[in-house]
Amino acid sequence: MSVDEKHRLPVANAAEVRRAFLRLFAADKGRAVQVLVLYTLAAGFSVSVPILLGRVVDGIGAGWSIGRINLVCGLIVACVAVQFVLSRLGRRAGYRFGERAAARLREGVVGRVLGLPLDRVEQAGRGDLGTRTASDVNTVADLLRDSGPTMATAFIEVLVLYVATFVVDPLLGLCALVTLPPLLLAARRYWRRSSGAFLAQRAAMSEAAETLTASGAGARTVSALAMQEERRETGYARAETMRERFLRVLHLQVEFFLLLLWINRLQLVIVVAAAGLWYFQDGLSLGTAVAAITVAVRIANPTNAVMVQLNEFQQGSAALARIEGVNLITPEPREAVPDGTDLRLDAVTFGYGEGPDVLHGLSLHPKAGERLVVVGPSGAGKSTIARLLAGIDRPRTGTATMGGVPVCDIGVEELRRHVVLVTQEHYVFTATLRDNLILAAPDASDALLEDALRRVDAGWALAEGLDTMLGDEHRKLSTAEAQQIALARVVVADPGIVILDEATAGIDPASAGNVEVALAAALAGRTVIAIAHQLQAASSADRIAVVEDGRIAEEGTHAELLAADGVYAGLWHAWRGE
Amino acid sequence: MPLAPPPTPWRLLVGFARPHPRRIAFGVLMYLLSGATSMTQLWMLGRVVDEGFIARDGGALAFWLALITCAVIAQPVFWSTGFRMFVGAEAANQRTIVRMLTDHLNTAGTGLRGKVSAGELVNLPSEDTRRAARAISDVGFFVNNLTMFVVGSVLVWSIHPLLGVVIVAGSAVTALVTGPLLGRLQRRQADYREMIGDLTANAADIVGGLRVLRGIGGDLLFAERYRERSAALQRTGYRVANSSSWIHALRYSMPIVFVAAITWTGALLAADGAISIGGLASAFSFATVFIAVSGNFIGTANFLVAAWVGTKRIARFLAIETDVDDEGTLRGAGGELRDPDSGLVVPADGLTVVVTAETAPALAACERLARYRDSEAAWGANPLGAYALAEVRERIMLLTDEDYLFAATLGETLRVEPNAALAAIETACAHDVYTGLGATLGAEVAEGGRNLSGGQRQRLRLARALAAAPQTLLAVEPTSAVDSHTESLIAERVTATRALLATLVVTASPLWLAHADRVVWMVDGKVHATGTHAELLDDPAYRVLTSHGADA
Repeated sequence: MSVDEKHRLPVANAAEVRRAFLRLFAADKGRAVQVLVLYTLAAGFSVSVPILLGRVVDGIGAGWSIGRINLVCGLIVACVAVQFVLSRLGRRAGYRFGERAAARLREGVVGRVLGLPLDRVEQAGRGDLGTRTASDVNTVADLLRDSGPTMATAFIEVLVLYVATFVVDPLLGLCALVTLPPLLLAARRYWRRSSGAFLAQRAAMSEAAETLTASGAGARTVSALAMQEERRETGYARAETMRERFLRVLHLQVEFFLLLLWINRLQLVIVVAAAGLWYFQDGLSLGTAVAAITVAVRIANPTNAVMVQLNEFQQGSAALARIEGVNLITPEPREAVPDGTDLRLDAVTFGYGEGPDVLHGLSLHPKAGERLVVVGPSGAGKSTIARLLAGIDRPRTGTATMGGVPVCDIGVEELRRHVVLVTQEHYVFTATLRDNLILAAPDASDALLEDALRRVDAGWALAEGLDTMLGDEHRKLSTAEAQQIALARVVVADPGIVILDEATAGIDPASAGNVEVALAAALAGRTVIAIAHQLQAASSADRIAVVEDGRIAEEGTHAELLAADGVYAGLWHAWRGE
Repeated sequence: MPLAPPPTPWRLLVGFARPHPRRIAFGVLMYLLSGATSMTQLWMLGRVVDEGFIARDGGALAFWLALITCAVIAQPVFWSTGFRMFVGAEAANQRTIVRMLTDHLNTAGTGLRGKVSAGELVNLPSEDTRRAARAISDVGFFVNNLTMFVVGSVLVWSIHPLLGVVIVAGSAVTALVTGPLLGRLQRRQADYREMIGDLTANAADIVGGLRVLRGIGGDLLFAERYRERSAALQRTGYRVANSSSWIHALRYSMPIVFVAAITWTGALLAADGAISIGGLASAFSFATVFIAVSGNFIGTANFLVAAWVGTKRIARFLAIETDVDDEGTLRGAGGELRDPDSGLVVPADGLTVVVTAETAPALAACERLARYRDSEAAWGANPLGAYALAEVRERIMLLTDEDYLFAATLGETLRVEPNAALAAIETACAHDVYTGLGATLGAEVAEGGRNLSGGQRQRLRLARALAAAPQTLLAVEPTSAVDSHTESLIAERVTATRALLATLVVTASPLWLAHADRVVWMVDGKVHATGTHAELLDDPAYRVLTSHGADA
């Protein structure tokens, strides 16, 4: 955990979350008002039931006829029917509002994620961004669609009931209000204290999930190294934390629910006592007293409903804070326009974060149409060179330029038309083979795609067809196949400069050679900068740069370097087994 | 580990309740008291109206109000104590379940591979555990609601039998009508939920391949696709809203219809003088509270169904058995390892290098030799299966890229005392891992080695295997992510430190072959030839395979 902390994406603060909620409402103002009006009317008609009951009580005292009682009771039933229709319309409008808000939210997040600067994407890692675009979006959407409308109906009902007590008798209404301040204080206190506790409880659950997933993924390692006892201890510790955090939540809940129930019922006692006093002083009729008491009995249900939903609302807010966090990343403007495609590093130094320099005044100038291979031991800074050339990172000193302007200042869309970086990480999208290939050229014809596949020697793909669904649930690809897809994408994209960072590592020795050869043919005429720890690709290169400790140790053609009998020659002989 | 039969969901649920008899008994008592007290309050409201208001008797009003006040103070205490008891048991259940899952992961071990997805392993200790553990609390809520229902019905009956009939029948109809409606709503939402799942997966896919989308293109294309699917989901959501809004409105209005029915019946009875005005007020209040009770019954039923589903998934997980049985008893073996399937033989000492164009069959042979799959493999004079599994694991180690790095310190990862750990780091050329993490064995390796590069992870795994110093080490492509210079150093150092132990390496690299005592050339998963590297070089096909692209 601590290792990843410094690269975490930002989280929005409370004020920003409030603004985000307001924006969601403001974007669909008309509909929001419509929902509120319908909910309020529905609640109003349902509250008329106890008020009319009061009339009946007084009527019985005044000796109403059965017919008149039936008439008023019929009116009650009519109110219920109207309320039913209104509440249906309100619910439907509420769901639709929530549905639209959820759609806006998720489309917004995905759109923003797709515009993130590359270095931030890499730093954050998939986990964090993935949770934000998936489960956090769902949590907020659920709030907008389900618990939001429920809470809103209950909340409006509470308001209408309070208004109703005033309608029945203003003084009794005031009495009913007496318990509102302590209720709000208790709720605020609970809100503040429980948010951390709930988050901690959820965190404990995901830690347990992470630990168990690790045990599952590492089942063979556990068995091989007899780690059962350690895994047991770790798992049990997670279980213990889960229980402790649950108990903390329980403690807060018990305290809050106790207060909530007390305050609800205290309100009833106060209303009954006050109604009794007024009644004895002839301040109100029996019917009014009964109506006030029955309204007070009713307030408890929706109040509890609102309070119980507080947690949902809290979780929704926490999720929205994380989603809004993505908004807080402001990409640097990249507007420089390159004059040509001459790519070069001049005396660059670079280090990651606060760390020491990885490159020390390194210069490299790939010529147009040249095939340049960069070799050297792991950790020498080869991949860093690739990242600087691709404009992912900015050098500390010195310059990385294309067409005379810093690569980092060239817009991503412009840059990738000229320069494409292929790494070892070959991602295959859950989509058709065609969609996996046309990324850079949405209008590419099938013939062009098939040609690209042929060029990277992907006969299997041609045989299965462009409409084949790829992805783990459909057609799972081997490393070598995924690699061919990645390379075919580049062939389709057809950039002038291709940077291959160990792009053919991790495939069987037999097939690696084939892919290399095929690729060299496919990329003929392009500028290719290949980063390699193995020497497969080196001998046929136009030029080889040997990197050691962040510097270019040797540079030249294969023959020149062998003749020089330096580092490269040593490596070559060892590698060939000579 | 006890070899109990795999538990059924029912037995699991009962097992969760068993450790808490006193808590449950006390909780039931509290919920009983709470339900009875809250219903009595409503009955007493009727007495207040009749004996206090209508009789204009201040003393009676004060008396009943005082009684109500006592009930109002006591009831929340009863309820929250019951809540604390049951939910406390629920918290303990969560712990129990996660412990069971932890233990089962150890017991079933590699048997779980391919039978449980990563997604399921995330859900089991979170969602499923939460649902299954909750069952006990819901049983408690059921007791509480049942008490309220029974006591309330009796009290209403005492006001007037006809009201009693209306209230019981009304509650029954509410539960019977809204319960199935809710079930139907859930089914209707199933498609919709599935679409949400698909869209979520789509978003995850975009994030997963974000580097590609940003680096090569396709971001606009994928954003457009996502928007289309999101709009489709919205349309389906609208359709669901059409029907579900009826159901929700019905569910919300049914109880109010029922209150209206009570009011009407009560009013006619009161006008007739069959019940008092206080009785009418009580009946109305009961009807109001019964709305909540019938709603709670439905809610509890839904949670119990969810608990059953979660428990079933847990039971299914617990029923998965290990794939390698541990019935052997032999210990202290020696001699060579033989895999009849492929013909591969590993002598008791020295470096054997397996050269092959396809790694998969060689890996399978190594899995058989390390007993990760049952086979005819033999160790010395006996079948491998005749040995105690612990003995096999301790003395034969398989090293592949599938090996996992758990979250731990560097020292804990290597599992030996500091000097041996540093020596293993040295042998595996993993010094950059050590210095990169701050040159201390106390440095943290993140879960799955996330804070290390691919090459660093590979060398750290190698260091861990070397530190364990198994009698036989079977290493499949242990240096595939390492540069030639380092690979050459590793081959040299590993050969030297393990000179008296058996080491098998699957690789075609000449850097390893230079140190091999014996080379096995595998073709199509069978041993094709055996000899020294120099001897085998006579075959042109072998030469192509091992000399990095030299012409035949």
